[in-house]
Amino acid sequence: MAPNSINPLADPVAKPVALEESAFLFSEEAVAELEEIATHYPERKAACLPALWIAQREYGGSLTPAALKEVAERLGISYTEVEGVATFYTMYNLRPRGRHHLEICTCLTCSVSGAYDVVHALEHAMGIHLGETTPDGEFTLSEAECLNYCGAATVVQVGDKYFTNITPQNCISLLDQLRESPSYTPAMLADSLVKLHTPGAGFKGGGSYTPEDLG
Amino acid sequence: MAIRNLIFEFRDVPGISNLDVWEKHGGYDGLKKAVAMERQTIVDEVKAAGLRGRGGAGFPTWIKWNGLPKNYDAPHYILCNADEGEPGTFKDRETLLKVPHALVEGMAIASLATYSRVGFIYIRGEYAEPAWQVRKAIDQAYAKGYLGKNILGSGHDFDLYIHMGAGSYECGEESALMSSLMGERGNPRLKFPHAPLPTVAGIWQAPTLINNVESYCAARWIIAHGSAEYAALGTERSKGTKIMSVSGHVAKPGNYEVEMGTPLMELLQAAGGVTNGRLKAVIPGGSSVQIMTAEQCEKINLDYESCSANGTLLGSGGMMAFNDLTDIVLLMRRTSEFYMHESCGKCTPCREGTRWLYKILDRICSGGGRQGDVELLLDVCSQIDGRSYCGLGDAACWPIAGAIKAFRHEFDYWIEHKRSPVGAQCVPPAFETINPALSLTAS
Ligand SMILES: Cc1cc2nc3c(=O)[nH]c(=O)nc-3n(C[C@H](O)[C@H](O)[C@H](O)COP(=O)(O)O)c2cc1C
Ligand code: SF4
Ligand code: FES
Repeated sequence: MAPNSINPLADPVAKPVALEESAFLFSEEAVAELEEIATHYPERKAACLPALWIAQREYGGSLTPAALKEVAERLGISYTEVEGVATFYTMYNLRPRGRHHLEICTCLTCSVSGAYDVVHALEHAMGIHLGETTPDGEFTLSEAECLNYCGAATVVQVGDKYFTNITPQNCISLLDQLRESPSYTPAMLADSLVKLHTPGAGFKGGGSYTPEDLG
Repeated sequence: MAIRNLIFEFRDVPGISNLDVWEKHGGYDGLKKAVAMERQTIVDEVKAAGLRGRGGAGFPTWIKWNGLPKNYDAPHYILCNADEGEPGTFKDRETLLKVPHALVEGMAIASLATYSRVGFIYIRGEYAEPAWQVRKAIDQAYAKGYLGKNILGSGHDFDLYIHMGAGSYECGEESALMSSLMGERGNPRLKFPHAPLPTVAGIWQAPTLINNVESYCAARWIIAHGSAEYAALGTERSKGTKIMSVSGHVAKPGNYEVEMGTPLMELLQAAGGVTNGRLKAVIPGGSSVQIMTAEQCEKINLDYESCSANGTLLGSGGMMAFNDLTDIVLLMRRTSEFYMHESCGKCTPCREGTRWLYKILDRICSGGGRQGDVELLLDVCSQIDGRSYCGLGDAACWPIAGAIKAFRHEFDYWIEHKRSPVGAQCVPPAFETINPALSLTAS
């Protein structure tokens, strides 16, 4: 295997040893959200993806076996089905992530625009390798496939934001900014994605960051 | 021929993502016209305009619109494919972000034409920022009566929902998107002729229409301005405009809406020309299409016919330009890594084949290339192409086979000399030069 390869098998998901009887954790609002979203589809099962987003938020940013179980029971489908879905998509976290999860695109355009230099610089600044989390739990660094904002290469996604035109230089100020920031966490990303399903949930704003914003 | 903004006409108007500004610029005129039209006339207009699907395959849009039952007897659905995942493409992102009402209006028009009362916009999970603009647009449109019950007094009801994806390129494939929307893994479903067309039995076995974001926006423009004006643009078989996402080694990367048939080199000039060297190669339509040499680019026009005549495809319009520092073999190694990662695993040729392609290319780029590796790559490609369950398998082979055709000498050079023909400063960087420390993460 090449040094910087994405090996889908290299990072196996911890299997639940036993499913403890666990109390359900969804808050009252979360249940209301799920029930509202379920009305969009003729079948409850179709709410599986949004339900997993709710679970990812309610369980603090990652999907534990208990979270999958709660989703399964609330939707009336099997645990295996939910696990199958949760393991298919890359944005569901089956392991805890750092407070900020940096996903750096190294796909075609970014790869010819210095993305690997940014990876190198970030690894150096964080003292970790791709796929790892800093010991203080502050950052996780992952490699992403094309984030489809190639015109602004190199692109780094953190939470629900794209940080664009990232270079080995400005990525350091990005880290500083993130350290200060309560936003862009995995749980906030999940919250954003849940609310997007709900009519009238309110506009939160958006817009990408440019190097100027990073100071 | 050159830049011709239809969908992007008001892209840069401040606040255009808001309903009031959109209305001031002719927003929802298309829907108002559609409400007054015979349902069949809407489909006929789209037909007369010659609109072809902008998601990649270029299938005539009106045929799909015409395929749904023309009554309200059973539920129908219309879906918007906003899962934009093709490397090099970022046109839907900007459309959602800047002119979300064009999509909402386009879908409302399509719902009238197809007697559909429910629509879903499937947006990839990474696109939270653009998705919020769509959320806002939908909420505003409901408040104004452009969506919901009895749209503009037409007696037609239309509810529009957002469904967020969760990170999977394969969910852009239309049948996999349907699986994902129904709460399953993003595996594709059996297709015609082995199963009914989606317009007969799609999601929940109901007649279903699926189109790309740009297709709906173009349809909206056609209804608002008339098919004749649209069909006057472009070439014989490629009408209207195409939004091209230009990235890579160009001075002004970004989205450019061009008239179909615009010479590729003209767009490259509009995007500021090549930076840091001379043009070496262009991938015209996203990572899935064949790479073209600089000489070939001179002959290519941006339309379906010219691209296929030159052995490539217009695809999704993700145009990537590369200067002469680019190492094609390393680039293809990265491309194959993408398809290996995104293969859903349902069928053997693609699941195994994409790994083979990656492993061979990785071996070549690690200095372990063997005589016969190029033939082996071509052989694996021929085993996947046409034998996979969905288009991802084919899409994984075309770029590799295309690169071997156009740049065979670079593959041979790598195998013989164990290093880049471009030299040490090549991009993407060769491993030794990227990051020796990274070897810790090797498995
Ligand atoms: C692997 C794969 C990925 C695809 N990804 C997308 C995509 O991200 N967006 C899209 O609109 N179409 C995508 N398509 C094409 C769709 O399957 C489908 O043709 C398209 O949504 C139809 O809409 P149109 O007729 O408006 O182009 C993809 C196809 C394949 C095989
Ligand atoms: S070609 Fe086969 S394995 Fe590849 S994505 Fe399609 S169904 Fe899945
Ligand atoms: S290659 Fe990085 S965003 Fe597309």
